[in-house]
Amino acid sequence: MIINGVTIDATFAEAFPMRGTRVIITAQNLEWAMNSATAFTGFATSVIACGCEASIERTLEPHETPDGRPGVACLIFAMGGKGLAKQVETRAGQCVLTSPTSALFSGLEMDQEGKEIPLGKNLRFFGDGYQISKMIDGKRYWRIPVMDGEFLTQENTGMRASVGGGNFLILAESQPQALAACEAAIREMKKIPNVIMPFPGGVVRSGSKVGSKYKALNASTNDAFCPTLKGQTKTELSPEVESVMEIVIDGLTEDDINKAMRVGIQAACELGAENGIKRISAGNYGGKLGPFHFHLQEIMA
Amino acid sequence: MSALTFTLKNPPAQRIDCAALTADKLVDKSVDEIAALTLVVGNQKVRVDELFDISGTDIAKICFENSTDKLDHIGHGMSTGSITVNGDAGAYLGQFMTHGEIAVNGNTGIYTACEMKGGQIKVDGNAGDFVGGARIGYKNGMTGGTVIITGNSGERTGDHMRRGMILIEGNAGNYCGSRMVSGTIAVLGQVGQHLGYAMKRGTLLLTQAPQHGLSANFNDCGSHTLAFLPLMIASFKKLDSQFATLEPFSRVQRYAGDISGIGMGEILVKI
Repeated sequence: MIINGVTIDATFAEAFPMRGTRVIITAQNLEWAMNSATAFTGFATSVIACGCEASIERTLEPHETPDGRPGVACLIFAMGGKGLAKQVETRAGQCVLTSPTSALFSGLEMDQEGKEIPLGKNLRFFGDGYQISKMIDGKRYWRIPVMDGEFLTQENTGMRASVGGGNFLILAESQPQALAACEAAIREMKKIPNVIMPFPGGVVRSGSKVGSKYKALNASTNDAFCPTLKGQTKTELSPEVESVMEIVIDGLTEDDINKAMRVGIQAACELGAENGIKRISAGNYGGKLGPFHFHLQEIMA
Repeated sequence: MSALTFTLKNPPAQRIDCAALTADKLVDKSVDEIAALTLVVGNQKVRVDELFDISGTDIAKICFENSTDKLDHIGHGMSTGSITVNGDAGAYLGQFMTHGEIAVNGNTGIYTACEMKGGQIKVDGNAGDFVGGARIGYKNGMTGGTVIITGNSGERTGDHMRRGMILIEGNAGNYCGSRMVSGTIAVLGQVGQHLGYAMKRGTLLLTQAPQHGLSANFNDCGSHTLAFLPLMIASFKKLDSQFATLEPFSRVQRYAGDISGIGMGEILVKI
């Protein structure tokens, strides 16, 4: 399959199940909501060492938020419900509770299984007995007295079975061209709801393979796609490919990732062979690791 | 199916316990069986059809016509359906109810919504004393649901109230929020004396300054912008009440008390 001179490999991205939730952070203005959201989703690029993958999904207009103030929607994913709950709690406690004028709400109703994780449930103890609970429309909120007034947070947020690790690789003739294609892809992918690209700017340059020659490591550089190793290893790269970059996608459902991959690959392909974009590939582990397979050619069909 | 309607034949001399006439207790009963039920009237038992003309069959929609303030325990422990009362209702309206709706087009007696757990009661008129209260000797009043009073409420509104919401469009009597454990009482009109007497926790929300002032047991915490208020006022929008048209506000003067006890309650006065 070739789109605009760009070869789409007959391969698939392999993704695995995660648990995810959406939280909404509001503040006096968008700048302060963003300050809090940036901190909340900081150091959350990969579950390998961050414990979760999180990013800002989009900004919200005042009419879209529960309290009618400007806000930011964040998605956060972890490998299990307990891990997710821990990450949400510590991040909410250190990055939202602390942020001036902020308020924190659930952005996801609980699913049919009724699974919820604590949002402000345990932060309330910061109130040292002065915290006040309010049931509004069947949902419990906590009012926690803080130095700038009162921190309002919803007690719980819904948790969903989600999909993490959807990905594709952009193979280009030079580093600037690979990055330009990634930027174009990310711009389009950010318009798709329910997904995040958790790496810095949405792009990762250090894709990994499973395993390492060093016993202590369970992941290491994906040498088959490292352009400097073309002559040293069993390479996947043709001679003209000089740079490879990856976009990783986490989403609430398989379908959301499908949509995001489609618009992302489409945007990269629109730059085409004339801009040095040669191939689109994807990372997989032979289908052994994750139950979700995103076949590039099916997505682009 | 039309609403199961009980039309009171004659104004009763004694009080009538209507607890048996809810959707929960009438399920699977034919109209004849319902007619043959007996209600406690004073110290006697009297058949339903001696007291009421019965029409309609839909037990999910029960209607009391010609009702008077002697009809007690309407909607007792109901968990489903709706009850409409045209006329006054007596004491203990909606006691222990968990779900469903009661609408009264008239006044209610004492202990309206006594120990109510959920659902909604709307009184298009005045309510007696102890709205949402606890029975004598019991410590927990209303624990959930919403009560709307379009007129005035009597004394000790929300006595021992634990959760839920009481919305009063008119005035509240003396000792409003007395011994309140938690929950919210909002009043659009005026409140009587001894507001929040022995209140432990909970919120009394007033849209105008109390005419008798506050007792010495409430301390001024200053004026504040509270983020939960617009959220709460927005939740009133779906109610059939003056509260639905309340302009959202978040600026209030906050008073904490009753400091003779644990003092965790608050009176919020719109500014």
